[in-house]
Amino acid sequence: MSTPHNNVSLPDFIVKLVDVGIFVVDRDMNITLWNNFMANHSGQSADAVLGKNLFECFPELPKVWLSKKIQGVFLLKNFAFTSWEQRPYLFRFPHNRPITGGVDYMYQNFTFMPVANETGEIDSVCITLFDATDIGISQTELKVAMECLSENSNRDGLTGIYNRRYLEQRLASEFDRCKRYKGEFSFIIFDLDHFKKVNDNYGHLAGDEVLCVVSQRISSLLRSADVLGRYGGEEFGVILPSTPLDGALILAERLRQIVAQEPVIFNEIAIPVTVSIGVSEFEPETPKYEHLIHCADLALYFGKKNGRNQVTPYTPELEAP
Amino acid sequence: MSVIPLTEDQRDAMQEITNVAMGQAGAMLATLLGTFVTLSVPRINVLALTEVPPAIGEMVGRDIEVTAVRQSFQGYLQGEAIVIYDQDGCKELGDLMGYDEALDRTDELELLLDVSNIIVGACLGGIIEQINNLTAEKVAGKLNFSAPSLMAEGVPAEKLINPEKLTWSYALLLEVNFKLEGRNFASHLCTLMSEQSIVKMKGILDEFIASF
Repeated sequence: MSTPHNNVSLPDFIVKLVDVGIFVVDRDMNITLWNNFMANHSGQSADAVLGKNLFECFPELPKVWLSKKIQGVFLLKNFAFTSWEQRPYLFRFPHNRPITGGVDYMYQNFTFMPVANETGEIDSVCITLFDATDIGISQTELKVAMECLSENSNRDGLTGIYNRRYLEQRLASEFDRCKRYKGEFSFIIFDLDHFKKVNDNYGHLAGDEVLCVVSQRISSLLRSADVLGRYGGEEFGVILPSTPLDGALILAERLRQIVAQEPVIFNEIAIPVTVSIGVSEFEPETPKYEHLIHCADLALYFGKKNGRNQVTPYTPELEAP
Repeated sequence: MSVIPLTEDQRDAMQEITNVAMGQAGAMLATLLGTFVTLSVPRINVLALTEVPPAIGEMVGRDIEVTAVRQSFQGYLQGEAIVIYDQDGCKELGDLMGYDEALDRTDELELLLDVSNIIVGACLGGIIEQINNLTAEKVAGKLNFSAPSLMAEGVPAEKLINPEKLTWSYALLLEVNFKLEGRNFASHLCTLMSEQSIVKMKGILDEFIASF
């Protein structure tokens, strides 16, 4: 174990060997202290850099920005900081996580401290460098995981389209938005015709395949702002922002056609599929978003009663007397 | 240990001390920005933590979305300093710093952290310096500051602080408006402190009053 020699003070010993980068520059940006951490990570020994200009020794440093930062400390006699979150690194130091890293260089946090001489004048700035690679990597991983998690919690496990919870949430916010800003939008509910028979005749795996293929066919026609979700079972909902009823009916008819166009093939068996579609439109006097679901549902019910494989718009006449 | 709000005299003394401290903050900002800076007289108040959210709403404006930077400090006084900007304030700041092209998010954030660091350092440093000047043995020494970090972005002012999540009991609220070359750039400094720190502050304020 190394211990301070008689001619080295304890603080000097600590500065030299502590596992934190410490270096000092004077007003001309010449390096006046360079500890072991800096030497080992940069590959430049203290002897090689002492008395030399920081930016000449390390041309990769962002000179304009960093000198402004250091000048600020001289000027204001105030501590200054930089964080890996804004600026991942200043020095291109290799980090010690070559396998799990996924980052180019060691992430670095810096603290800049004004150093006063005996007369109280600031004659140099001491800069400490903390290795933030571990924090940086785990924070980045956490962020990705959180995004993934929140995305998954919005998705239907079978079809990959949005689930009922998310669909209702979006419906509620679209409703609030249009109430406030006098916007327009329509809501579609559609249901696979005779889906129970598909399950009974061809098995549940075939039923699952039909649900997936129908979801894909519908998705392929929707615009990026539209929100498609599985309501449950064989029932689906679509939010169509900025779309009045006539536009929604045109789209609904195209959706009906693309589903019915060709059968779904499962294990070389052709299973014919059709959907019945109910459409409702937001109106300023619509009391709550649930009312739109009720209206589209009612229209869908009439479509089913009328022979299926058709689009039915909601009208007040559909309400039972 | 219970803390009553500041007496009239203590408030005046605190006002005096913060005036001087914020004067220094203004001078530092002027140096950094290279423009002339004028400061409003700071409005100050000591509040129990539960009173802080509505007070911030009132100070900044209800329903106004704010961005805030936090920084903790240790030493003679202990607590957390929060600098609050409204959305316009952030943009003005970029213009003032002479960034010609539009700032990207990272630049804007870095700038915000820098300016907050200066405001907090100057203000609390100034208060500590005043305390040291008042006491022969310079009891306050020097404060340690953590690196500043972004606390919230685009949050309604009155929802910025959730008293249930904070360990501090009292807040010294300081409202300062900076005016730079005809532009109005407002920022608000909210300093949350431990009860012990407030008691110490009050002791010092009494000494300050007695010294006149």
